[in-house]
Amino acid sequence: MNHPQIAAFPRLAKENQAPTRSLQGQNTLISRTMHDIQYDSLHDEILVNSPLTQAILVFDGGANGEEAPKRVIQGSKTQILGVGAMDKVSFDPATGDIYLATARHNIVVFPYGSNGDVAPVRTLGGPDTLIRFIDQTDGSGNTPPIRVDPVNNLLVVPTRPPGQIPGLLIFDKNASGNTKPLRVIRGPKTMIAGGQQMAISPKGYIVAGATGNSIGVWSILDNGDVPPKWRIPVRQISGLNVNGIALNHRDQELMVPTGNGNTVMTFYFPEIF
Amino acid sequence: MRAKSAGRSAIFAGILAIAFGVFSWSLLTTPDLSVRQSTGSARLVSIEQLPDYADVCAPEEMSAIAALHAEFEHNTSVYAADTVEVNRPPVRTIRDTYPIYSSVAVDPVRNEVVLQDTNLFSIKVFNRLENTPANVDASTPKRVIIGPDTKNEYNNGLYVDLANGETYSVAMDTADAIFTFRAGAEGNTEPMRVLDIPHRGFQVTIDEERQELYSTNQYPPRLLVFRKGASGNEKPLRVIEGQRTGLADVHGVAVDSQRKLVFVGNWGNSSNYKVAGSGKHLPPSITIYSTDANGDAAPLRTIQGPKTQLNWMGAFSLDPETGNLWVANDVGNSILVFRGTDNGDVAPMKVIKGETTRLDHPAGISIDTKNKEVWVSNMGNSSATAYSLTAAGNAAPIRTIRSAPVGWKSLKFGKPQVVAYDSKREEYLVPN
Repeated sequence: MNHPQIAAFPRLAKENQAPTRSLQGQNTLISRTMHDIQYDSLHDEILVNSPLTQAILVFDGGANGEEAPKRVIQGSKTQILGVGAMDKVSFDPATGDIYLATARHNIVVFPYGSNGDVAPVRTLGGPDTLIRFIDQTDGSGNTPPIRVDPVNNLLVVPTRPPGQIPGLLIFDKNASGNTKPLRVIRGPKTMIAGGQQMAISPKGYIVAGATGNSIGVWSILDNGDVPPKWRIPVRQISGLNVNGIALNHRDQELMVPTGNGNTVMTFYFPEIF
Repeated sequence: MRAKSAGRSAIFAGILAIAFGVFSWSLLTTPDLSVRQSTGSARLVSIEQLPDYADVCAPEEMSAIAALHAEFEHNTSVYAADTVEVNRPPVRTIRDTYPIYSSVAVDPVRNEVVLQDTNLFSIKVFNRLENTPANVDASTPKRVIIGPDTKNEYNNGLYVDLANGETYSVAMDTADAIFTFRAGAEGNTEPMRVLDIPHRGFQVTIDEERQELYSTNQYPPRLLVFRKGASGNEKPLRVIEGQRTGLADVHGVAVDSQRKLVFVGNWGNSSNYKVAGSGKHLPPSITIYSTDANGDAAPLRTIQGPKTQLNWMGAFSLDPETGNLWVANDVGNSILVFRGTDNGDVAPMKVIKGETTRLDHPAGISIDTKNKEVWVSNMGNSSATAYSLTAAGNAAPIRTIRSAPVGWKSLKFGKPQVVAYDSKREEYLVPN
């Protein structure tokens, strides 16, 4: 967008409260199309994509102002491809390993601490994986978010084959190559839709975008055409769309940023914690 | 006796009240209870609550999935249950209720200052001589273009045709179009013309001599030149695009019709999205082309280097009398002025910067040659400030239009779509 900052707000911030700090400027190397962001509490680091430069930026957790990233994964060995297709970054909260979807309909994994022009340690992709993202067109075509469940050692990957309804693929988090998913949640009853982010609660609930601009909750054990256990009809409640999803485990809260209202909403959602 | 009887009645009434209360509570909380019963997960997870994933030791927590597996096999799980609708409203909302001004255009013919509000998706038009008094929270605009029929979303670039008062507005994200509004447009007005542009547009300007419209495209980086008055999916007359152009994350644009030059701002973020690992971070630059340039044209000159002070530059405006280029230098919190003939690593010929200027993330800029003024829109404090064209250094504005109280600090939101939670600092991290 016109000012692609990363702004930090106190948890209890309300409307018209200015950010406590903001990452911005040339030195930060950040660019527009940051369609995902992660906080690695184990290493106190912020992870974000720089899609226009096919890079993953890692900042100190307390970074502020024009601070440069402490690590940048970028270069020909990385196999990072696309723009819209590399707009999401994810990681394993137990190890810090970075997971990234690419325009080749695969997922590449970089070990924690990777820096510079490094090759991924493993790649998950191929016909048996059923991984299929939206195709890149002229630099657009967003990939869905992927998430690692560090409690159950799982990797959840949204998929959207052309002409088919989206679904969730569940893999072992260490899966590589052309591996079949352990389970597939897909079908008309699932109500699974797109979204920029997804989250997994400590109890093994997958929180993701559902049809009708709502948020749905499925279990990591779900398989087949399974309806969501819970559904928050966000647009019906707020008049705003669902874009992002993140969780605050301690306070049992669900954060929902919504671009169309330039707003970040917080829902109390103890059921999933 | 009467006292004892009264006491017994009171006790009985109390028991009844408690019983009714418990019954009522159970009714009210039935959905929650059914949720817990159907999932069983609250009973099955081995620890009460995880403070954060970072503290998780994965192998020990396998008991959670093992327990859920057991539940699944005993067919007492959620899988056959109906979806429970959770309709509780949000407990908190972060948003900015004031305008966030991304761009400005001054119209000395109609004595108007037009401001692009990318937060509330409006275009606000003020009297050019408006100067918000210190004891007033906000000036009232003469008119506001706002509403669903305007189709304005994430509106950024702005241009006013001085000949007829038409306003051009770039919708840089979801709408991917340049909307043109009639002179005097107000309220929920449909644009008179819609020109489709590629995703990630930024600024618009017009070469009035050649009757050509210039539209910058952040990525893939390119400069599109359309016929003025183009609409719908009309093709551009020319497109400057390719490896030799030096274009990289394109932002501002200005045309010098007299000298036949085009100035383009580049943030330096570069890659070929079709080639893996081709991304690069280049220093920001201003690339200068002939107005006849087309295709993979190399720039005539490039202003680039540490002396330039370029830092997330926003819009450009050109002074046709001098040929000087005025740059809204967003994160530099400054206005940079370059000679039209500059080349290489050059310092600006002058800089307006400092506390007295009240510049706060200036992203838009517009020169008024008739009144010898320059207007700047400030994303950081919901204001527009005007300076004399002769101003330099830590110059105070000659007028300020505020749409928020003095000292206001904007959230500078621009399509915040995602969020992360920093559990250490208890903060939300929100990218635009």
